[in-house]
Amino acid sequence: MTISKLLVANRGEIAARVLRTAKARGLATAVLRHVAEQEGPAHLIADEVVMIEGPTPVAAYLDIPQIVEAAKGIGADAVHPGYGFLSENAGFVAALEKAGVTFVGPTSEVIDLMGDKVRARAFVEERGFPVAPSAIEDDDPASFVERARAVGYPLLIKPSAGGGGKGMRVVREDSTLETEIETARREGERYFGDGRLFVERYIERPRHIEVQVMGDGQGNVVHFWERECSIQRRFQKIIEETPSPALTPEQRDEICETAAGIARAVKYRGAGTVEFIYAQDGAFYFLEMNTRLQVEHPVTEMVTGFDLVAEQLRVAAGDGLSAVQADIPQTGHSIELRICAEDATADFRPAIGNILLLDEPQGEGIRVDSGILDGGKVTTDFDPMLSKLIVHGPDRAQAIARARSAVQSYVILGVTTNTGYLDAILAHPDFASGDVSTGFLAEQSETLTAPGEDVSDLLMAAAALSDERLVSDVMQIPEMYRKMGGWRN
Amino acid sequence: MQRIFQMDGEETDCWLGHDGSRFVLNTPTGAVACQLDPTGLPGGYKLRAKGVVRELRLAVGPEATFVHMDGRTYEVGRVDPAERLAGSDGGASDDRLVAPMPGVVVSVAVKPGDAVEEGQPLLVIESMKLETTLTAPRDGVVAEMPFAEGDSFGLKDILAQLAPEEE
Repeated sequence: MTISKLLVANRGEIAARVLRTAKARGLATAVLRHVAEQEGPAHLIADEVVMIEGPTPVAAYLDIPQIVEAAKGIGADAVHPGYGFLSENAGFVAALEKAGVTFVGPTSEVIDLMGDKVRARAFVEERGFPVAPSAIEDDDPASFVERARAVGYPLLIKPSAGGGGKGMRVVREDSTLETEIETARREGERYFGDGRLFVERYIERPRHIEVQVMGDGQGNVVHFWERECSIQRRFQKIIEETPSPALTPEQRDEICETAAGIARAVKYRGAGTVEFIYAQDGAFYFLEMNTRLQVEHPVTEMVTGFDLVAEQLRVAAGDGLSAVQADIPQTGHSIELRICAEDATADFRPAIGNILLLDEPQGEGIRVDSGILDGGKVTTDFDPMLSKLIVHGPDRAQAIARARSAVQSYVILGVTTNTGYLDAILAHPDFASGDVSTGFLAEQSETLTAPGEDVSDLLMAAAALSDERLVSDVMQIPEMYRKMGGWRN
Repeated sequence: MQRIFQMDGEETDCWLGHDGSRFVLNTPTGAVACQLDPTGLPGGYKLRAKGVVRELRLAVGPEATFVHMDGRTYEVGRVDPAERLAGSDGGASDDRLVAPMPGVVVSVAVKPGDAVEEGQPLLVIESMKLETTLTAPRDGVVAEMPFAEGDSFGLKDILAQLAPEEE
């Protein structure tokens, strides 16, 4: 089958990024836009913009019948879901299939399997891949507490239907196990409408390492190496890099081959990511598989030279993979920073505002995937991520230096962003040495949000002299009074 | 002329004058002779003050000035004291909690009539999947809690009101 017209069922930076590749491949392109949504870069790139409606902007992007109708209405023969929204929704895939529209991604069966953490874990374990010691409530609810105990402490309780760290509890002592199980169950019910739980051994100071895979749906799978994603706040990644500073070449081959093996076992189609927990002693365990393109995929593109969206479109059109494993290099080092509208000094509270001035960094080894335009408005309708700054350098030290210089020169005025916080992370000696775990940001929160040099006099001078009304008022005062330093005692 | 600048929650009272050849900003800690010249870049200026020259990018919003200088971004709130005096504020600003963003009330910890201490949690809100606990800005008595658990609220809605302080 060929694809001639692609609808991107997403928004923001990822929609713009997918559209660029689709256009470069000669496809006709379209993207969605909610009626109340600000114009973004994607709307300027797409050949066509399809307006969608809903009680909230997010609800519109989750409205399967409306989006399938939109695809049919404009004659799109394929839909790219981006990440988030409907990208891992098996019902969406089935609805598109029924309408005769190609979904750029895996089959609904694989999405279903990997979307259920418990089933996915069992599937992986049965095929001999490493998983952390665990106990699943559903296997035998009556003996769950007993089996949880047998896993050993510390252990981690997770909602079966969970994600994003919601409802997860660490238990270190047997005396609190039963109350923590009840708390986790209530949270699971509240966040996911599902109180089923599982527990697994809690890995102290773990790293989060994931592997990019790509399959043709026929059992051929290649990997595009790993990504280190241990820099997380509230279980959300904000800095990702590749290669991981933790892995030896042998460990790298082992973890990447394991990921490819898991993808092969499901005859994976399209782009996917296998996530692992990596322990301080070098052991690694399957965490989950994300059946979509990830936010952090650009670092992989920077070191391999491959366009992963182009690979996705090839596979979706039935043209197979463009490369065999030996053709996929890992050259130099790449780092991605997620630029978010949030206040790192106030518990990462989302920020809103109008973008009064935008000047993105550019230069050798710098890529910006942006979802905002100068003059745009940042609201709380969507995720606080505004853009991604991706850099590439010959080695890790040079990539860090380039990332620091780029994020320092990134000008976004009018809304609070985390650029200063990201720079503080990059400047931290533990980040430089690569000795971090997923707990790094929480452990270092005070160091990372410490105020810098006091430049308040300079800032007030700049604010005063750029205040046109103030300056004009001052100049209207007769000269002899103007000179007086106010009426301060 | 007087201006109040707000940075990181602190207010500084300043007076801008001109000595015939240059502007002088009088701050509580001293007089700062200063000069601001455009560089040609959008929002680009060269600031001369306190014996240093700094290149910066700047944008003037309705209530705050945003400054990008030496790789960092700062927000400086501006208040015209004349407007604050004439303002139509229905009470002192530390009498109420104003919604920092739209969201939903997760739980309410106090009711009208309760005595509270500064820093005591009043309610928990959820916005954009993040839970935030809002605390009393000062010691006092709760006058009003306009939203109940599960209610949605908009940006700048009043989430809690304390009774005015007695003089």
